[in-house]
Amino acid sequence: MRTVLERWLFTAFAITLSVPALAQSGPIRIGAINPYSGPMALYGDEVSRGYQLAIDEANAKGGVLGRKIELIRGDAGNPQQGITAAEKLATQDNVDIFVGTYVSAVSNAASDTALRYSKLYWDTNALAADLTERGLPNFVRSGPYARSFADISVNGTKELLAPALGKSVKDLKVWIEHEDSIYGTSIAQRQKALLEKDGAKVVGVGAHNFRAIDLTDSILRAKGAAPDVWINTGYVPDGNLLLRTMRDQGFKPPAVMLVGTGDTPETLDALGADYLNGITVVGYPRPDQTETFGPGAAAYLAAYKKKYDRDPIAPQGMTAYVGMQILLEAVAAAGSTDMEKVRAAAAKMDKPAKSYATGFGVKFDQQFQNERAFPTVVQWQSGKVVTVYPKEAAQPGVKLISLQRQ
Amino acid sequence: METFLNILVSGILLGGIYSLVSIGLNLIFGVVRIVNFAQGEFVMLAMYATFFLSTLGIGPYYAVFVVAPLMFVFGLAVQRLVLQPLQNEPMMQIFATFGLLILLENAVLALTRGEGLSLAGPYSRVVIDLFGLKASGVRVIVFVAATAIAIALMLFLHRTMAGKAIRAVIQDRQGARLMGINVERTYLLTFALGSALAGVAGALLAPIYTLSPYIGGNFILAAFAVVVLGGLGSVPGAYIGGLAVGLMESFAGYYVDPALKQAIWFIIFVAVLIVRPSGLLGRAGAEEVGLRAEAP
Repeated sequence: MRTVLERWLFTAFAITLSVPALAQSGPIRIGAINPYSGPMALYGDEVSRGYQLAIDEANAKGGVLGRKIELIRGDAGNPQQGITAAEKLATQDNVDIFVGTYVSAVSNAASDTALRYSKLYWDTNALAADLTERGLPNFVRSGPYARSFADISVNGTKELLAPALGKSVKDLKVWIEHEDSIYGTSIAQRQKALLEKDGAKVVGVGAHNFRAIDLTDSILRAKGAAPDVWINTGYVPDGNLLLRTMRDQGFKPPAVMLVGTGDTPETLDALGADYLNGITVVGYPRPDQTETFGPGAAAYLAAYKKKYDRDPIAPQGMTAYVGMQILLEAVAAAGSTDMEKVRAAAAKMDKPAKSYATGFGVKFDQQFQNERAFPTVVQWQSGKVVTVYPKEAAQPGVKLISLQRQ
Repeated sequence: METFLNILVSGILLGGIYSLVSIGLNLIFGVVRIVNFAQGEFVMLAMYATFFLSTLGIGPYYAVFVVAPLMFVFGLAVQRLVLQPLQNEPMMQIFATFGLLILLENAVLALTRGEGLSLAGPYSRVVIDLFGLKASGVRVIVFVAATAIAIALMLFLHRTMAGKAIRAVIQDRQGARLMGINVERTYLLTFALGSALAGVAGALLAPIYTLSPYIGGNFILAAFAVVVLGGLGSVPGAYIGGLAVGLMESFAGYYVDPALKQAIWFIIFVAVLIVRPSGLLGRAGAEEVGLRAEAP
């Protein structure tokens, strides 16, 4: 009896020992947390398509650390689902690393959960500043965030819009409009501080609720201030309503810049190509930029079309694709998927801007935010969005068209 | 001065939107004594139906004649199949309408995947410009429709037997039952009428907004305020309450702060309730003033 028990125990022990060994030789499993159902599924899918394309590319070259890479999806549209999805991926699917996330609140909750399992959470697409500011020991963000969007909107105003309007920055009058949650408010505050530092006149800051039924008051206030540039940070429905009201009220600022949204067919359908002509949008880098700015952008577009048989739905996918590339490089350099080792390897990475398809470089700050990841500025031209800023990202022959509202 | 007049116009037009959405809600509220939490989702459903018809080449001003009858039938079905079986359990009825809200939102979400849809025909660009006073054509139509509906509904309630039955039920449903009025049928008619009005609202509002499955919620908060402010079950109350809220919102938004406008009209709303608990034009029914216990 005793020997049987001993043998049984020994066998059990041997199996336990062999499990990690097996896992090491199997594929590297990456859990991708995103909304795949519900209102944001379209973008969650698009982000994961970006991951998959980067993984296909790596697998074609034999994988990383001699192991193939496998992507496993975890569906989460809100923080609670984020926790559940992360737990399932950690315990049932035994993922080695987490990536995400189209929604900041989900990233926040899921990365917390990942930490409980001592797994790395590599974020490519969430925008909220507090994600990196929390100082979570398993968190890294490879893509741009709210602050980068504010910075590029200000740089674009100074270097692109002001010259096109024939004004110096000091003579420029700017109205800053934003939706009134923490997202829009934090971006607007930074825009105001940066613009005023450069001597531009911020003639007004307007906050609105993104669910408002009517925004005539916001537009009339801005109209009364007669700005040269009207900048708005918000979501799709309120952005569309503001532009429609602007048209109805005959408010024609010399230049309009939208931040974060406004570069998709959802806006084109609402306003029409004629009205949108000339409006600029600060958004994720798009595949139409030059190869010198974003080496590999054209290859990404080609690979996307080949695999999914259509044009990309949204530019977020390319930022996710590059995020996954950077992650796999960090894993290769670390020689491990361990969260501390990968973070240590990431901290040592130093690549200049314009190294990736999105134009990003890699240099992480103390809080593991990539300092060399920025959005670009596009302009609506005859119903299409065209990259216009930074200058080296714009295709030869692309010119800023008339900014004035018609 | 021009700005002041422009705000006045935009406030009146916004009031038209609120009136249009609130009249149906108030009718149901006053007669069936149900807070229909799903009323905003009825409007949303009608907006999507209008969008769908527009992809078939039917513009919203034709679609309204299809969508409103469809919503009438939908309202009949909801009242008969969901609410009537729960008639003696008012709390359960409220939960049921809340369940309907979640169901409709998620059904539309599943069908559209949440992509923002816009119905932007040439009519949505028409702007009426009178000496610098600007009014969007589609909003003027909404205002005219809200006014016409309020008048037509008043005539219906005062000049027809069915309308008189509805008014009798508003005042005292037990008494109405004793006079031989079929209270259940009155409920059925009222609820269907209320959802047909949501259908009209949805069709006429579709050209103004970018559709999302959650858009119903944007209207409904204001609509509840309008209903309570205007008076329970009162059609002119809902119409005038809608205009009042629209004007308050516009002026508060422009002269105080757009981010505070909701807070401001809720303060006014609470103040009105303290002075006139039954609303500006409301008259409490026999049950509310304690003349009679709730009918079984």
